[in-house]
Amino acid sequence: MNEGIAGKLAKQFINSKITPLLMVASLLVGIMATFMTPREEEPQIVVPMVDLYIPYPGATPAEVESRVAKSVERTLTEIPGVDYVYSTSMPDFAVVTVRYKVGEDAEKSMVKLWSTLMKNMDKMPPGVQFPLMKKVSIDDVPVLNLTFWSKTKDPFELRKTAVGVADELKKIKSIGDVDIKGGLKRQVKIVLDKEKLRQFNVSPLQIARQVQMANSQMTSGDFKQMNQEIVVRSGRFLESASDVGNIVVGIYGASPVYLRDVASVVDGPEEVNNYNFFGWGAAAPKGSASGEYPAVTLTVAKRQGSDASKLADKVLARVEELKKSSIPAGVTVSETRNYGATATDKVTTLLEHLLMAVVAVTIVVGFFLGWRGALVVLASVPITFALTLLIYYLLDYSLNRVTLFALIFVTGIVVDDSIIIAENIHRHFAMKRQPKLQAAITAINEVGNPTILATFTVIAAVLPMVFVSGLMGPYMSPMPIGASLAMIFSLLVALIATPWLSFRLLKTEEGHHEEYDISKTAYYRLFNAILSPFIESSFKRWVAFGVVGLMLVGAIALVPLKAVQMKMLPFDNKNEFQVIIDMPEGTALEQTARVTKEISAYLKTVPEVRSYQYYVGTNAPINFNGLVRHYYLRQAKNMGDIQVNLVPKDERKAQSHDIAKKVRAGVQQIAMRYNANAKIVEIPPGPPVLSTLVAEIYGPSQEQQIALAKQVKKVFEETPGVVDVDWMVEADQKVYNLVVNKERAAFRGVTAEQIAQTLRMSLAGMDVGVLHTDKELEPVMIQVRLPQSDRTSLQDLSGIFVQSQGMGTLTTRLRAGEMIPLSELVKVEEKIQDKSIYRKDLRRVVYVTADVAGATESPVYAMLDMDKKIEKLKVPGGYRVSPLYTANPTSEEKLSMKWDGEWQITFEVFRDLGTAFAVVLVIIYLLIIGWFQSFKTPLIMMIAIPLSLVGIIPGHLLHGAFFTATSMIGMIALAGIMVRNSVLLIDFIQIRRAEGADLKQAVIESAAVRTRPIILTSGAVVIGSIVMLFDPIFQGLAISLIWGGVLSTILTLVVVPIVYYMVEKKSAKR
Amino acid sequence: MSLDRKKNLFPFLVAIPLLFAGCGNREPESIKSGSKVSPDAVVSVVAVRRAVKAGGDEVLLVPASAIFRKGELTGIFVAGADNRLSVRWISTGRFMQGDLVVLGGLDKGEFVVGVYSPELVEGVTVIKSVTAEDQTNE
Repeated sequence: MNEGIAGKLAKQFINSKITPLLMVASLLVGIMATFMTPREEEPQIVVPMVDLYIPYPGATPAEVESRVAKSVERTLTEIPGVDYVYSTSMPDFAVVTVRYKVGEDAEKSMVKLWSTLMKNMDKMPPGVQFPLMKKVSIDDVPVLNLTFWSKTKDPFELRKTAVGVADELKKIKSIGDVDIKGGLKRQVKIVLDKEKLRQFNVSPLQIARQVQMANSQMTSGDFKQMNQEIVVRSGRFLESASDVGNIVVGIYGASPVYLRDVASVVDGPEEVNNYNFFGWGAAAPKGSASGEYPAVTLTVAKRQGSDASKLADKVLARVEELKKSSIPAGVTVSETRNYGATATDKVTTLLEHLLMAVVAVTIVVGFFLGWRGALVVLASVPITFALTLLIYYLLDYSLNRVTLFALIFVTGIVVDDSIIIAENIHRHFAMKRQPKLQAAITAINEVGNPTILATFTVIAAVLPMVFVSGLMGPYMSPMPIGASLAMIFSLLVALIATPWLSFRLLKTEEGHHEEYDISKTAYYRLFNAILSPFIESSFKRWVAFGVVGLMLVGAIALVPLKAVQMKMLPFDNKNEFQVIIDMPEGTALEQTARVTKEISAYLKTVPEVRSYQYYVGTNAPINFNGLVRHYYLRQAKNMGDIQVNLVPKDERKAQSHDIAKKVRAGVQQIAMRYNANAKIVEIPPGPPVLSTLVAEIYGPSQEQQIALAKQVKKVFEETPGVVDVDWMVEADQKVYNLVVNKERAAFRGVTAEQIAQTLRMSLAGMDVGVLHTDKELEPVMIQVRLPQSDRTSLQDLSGIFVQSQGMGTLTTRLRAGEMIPLSELVKVEEKIQDKSIYRKDLRRVVYVTADVAGATESPVYAMLDMDKKIEKLKVPGGYRVSPLYTANPTSEEKLSMKWDGEWQITFEVFRDLGTAFAVVLVIIYLLIIGWFQSFKTPLIMMIAIPLSLVGIIPGHLLHGAFFTATSMIGMIALAGIMVRNSVLLIDFIQIRRAEGADLKQAVIESAAVRTRPIILTSGAVVIGSIVMLFDPIFQGLAISLIWGGVLSTILTLVVVPIVYYMVEKKSAKR
Repeated sequence: MSLDRKKNLFPFLVAIPLLFAGCGNREPESIKSGSKVSPDAVVSVVAVRRAVKAGGDEVLLVPASAIFRKGELTGIFVAGADNRLSVRWISTGRFMQGDLVVLGGLDKGEFVVGVYSPELVEGVTVIKSVTAEDQTNE
């Protein structure tokens, strides 16, 4: 027999001293890599996203849109690599979000954006201020949250403690941004007294100016004297509240008016602008406090490429030390998020899964080949994984849930090559036709080359998944890359290490020298019994094909019958979820806090809830989902977030998704009472989107869009299974427009700007400087404002005065400095606040959003359901609105609607995976043609591919699971595995026929001889997958591999030989 | 395969504790220290009143004695419809004859504990004794 590459390799290494050294070395580098690869929760996804904040003070949303947003959008879309441009035009400013294509270089994108924006700054209308650019990246997501809460301390003291701790933590290496949510900052408040101001003839603007001027110090220069340079400085910064109080703000009569005469200067906490609380839930540790307590949360992000779990451990250790010094006794620090721990948890779970899978596979192999054979297989797996982990490390991957997924996924596949080689060596040893070494090399030669081919078919199957585009791309790509690498390593291990091990471990039983006869084995008898009738009778053959065909059609029919539903990814079992509360615009902070508190009080009673924190007035620490949804902008008075932490998943029975579904009704019942909109937000398993269901409504005018949106929203609400319905249209908020009477203002010597500034200072307050203290870690602002009790109504505002700049006419002479009451100069107009204008890709859009849970879990079915109702909606003009799925509307002349949200990603993923699958088939076909030099044979082998569907789809039905993206991956991978089985089968038939065997005999013998390795390898895949069955995300993959594997293996062993026989029969007769 | 049977059993196993979970929710939380207000104590409450200011604006009033402060936070004990005490954070305006104007956080007609005392505990069920105030400006 001639020797292939496999045989040559084996000959080199089977007796080489270097082989064991190589094995040990690989194991060592693998172990090293495992410890050195950074661990984190989310994959490193580079989605360059930049938020531009462009202030345009005083402009209405419509003005902001037409002058700023539109033109900025237009210029930004010119940049190559920009995927989407969104904008929101609000009163006074615009937020433009630019999203680059996934994988674009973040730094380059920023430079391009910057230069494009600068190029067009001259086209901006006057009044537009310089834009603020903020790059948003995955590393902004905090990996560790520490909530400081206390029974005795107030938010002001808590924040001070947290700031001190944050300052210390910043010194830790590889720490990223440290931020503090909630609490009250120190502030020097200049609380104006309206009466005194009038009495002393001082205006608020004057005070602001005087404070600003007093708070200055500069180096004036130097002079020379006696060979020395002497530096001269002038002025002095304000260093304390009494410094501020002692500023002279005016002269009244003959004496100076000090600031403390006209205002009270208070050094202390700022005015309440947030309510952040912490409380324990029903599942709190024993003896926990029962109430809820003011809280401040410190968030720690990590630097790019660093290890989340190591960082978290370092931070926690440091905090433990600080508890002895800078954290007061009354303050408790609770860990409310630790992605480091969850990442470690994931890694441990994976290792457990791997171990279980390897042990299970070993036992099965042991069953067939004896414990020595099992040992050979067992030894080859760690080497393969060690090398794969090394490559992960070298390629700068981190160990996260996606890269780990890749490893779990290949567990069942990487043992196959070793199994095939070991099995064949075992068989040849048992046949005892040749001396031991010769037998081993013959065995390797026999299966070596088909194994190489088979490995490449599996690689060909998974590798095209690299080309999945869009947000899902980075989620997918580590998998084909990891799996392909693991396959290559497993092949090398099978060709180098396995022969070495087998040669030493596998025994040839001495003693009986009986000639090996295949026809006496049990396998042969079995296949002879099964295959012979089909080979002999063409009628029976066709009946068999008919039955298999029917099974296939029946299985596929389950999909349109909705017995098996498609969903992109099922929810993962997480330890947290969020409740997002939106009150109508214009709701007071306290009212929002009240509703949030009431909802929290309900959540507290849920048995699985360990603790909760709520954030009103500030955003909650964001997660990856919040990053994409812009939850970090949720700082308005009408918004509240509740972060709910559940007990760890191994201590509860219910999945987090089921808990979320369960509490939804209770939460929304409370929200409804207060006219609030509450949403339960879970961390999506895949890439986050605005919302699971998004209807984008386009149209000629905002009124028409909103009118249609209202109807669509109603349809959403009426559809069962559609929950958390909301829209991005603000509620009507009352606005008092103070219109300046220009003539009167002119006669009184007052400018419109003075009026605007005075009003702003009185109501919102104005920061007029910073207190220069050395001790304070956060800047202490000096703020001028009216006391809260003096700004409660329009009446209060009318008591504010502005100072005249003097006016001389023929009839009157008004001296500068005269105090003019505002009420004399302005007229009040009551109106409704203009609504924000949203734009996406240069079109005005109104979003209606919702989630799906309960009756349907998959958005696609809900969408199809609602389509019919939406088409029946009446719109002005009398045409029908049919929702679009993939394309943007062609014109804005007519109202139109497009589905977005999870659908968009689902569509992209299944489209790309489908394309990948088609490419896979072609590549596999080409590979086999290359090997067998026949156009027909590959087709026979590929029959096995559709046969896997017979198992996969009913398998999902059996488990009541969704057909997900991971199921699809399983199906694609299975295609490679099944073709490999066929290759092994047919290759042996051809070998036997070349040796002169009769076709029928060769077919049956091949089935008999190859059954064991095929069952072993498929068994390894099936058994290796069982551990994944209970993981919500990987369930689909496991079902595909298990059921698809079992069914198609059985069918392959029968159908492929028969078809081969049928096709070859004619040529054999000739 | 025995696995799928396990899989089908799983929802039931989950459902059982859920069925019972709803039962215990309404019980008041246990009180640990003795000095606190005991459950079912009689607490005198007053309704949040509405008054009309000189300019014609309506305002809500609570007795100044009812509020307490925690740093900058202003709180008040509210006795809900289910007779349970809860802390409500409010923002207040100016004084009006011994009463305080409430700017946010309370609704008209809600019952608040008339006089704050540190013994009040959140979550305790109490018996409301309504003290009528003479100057209702309705």
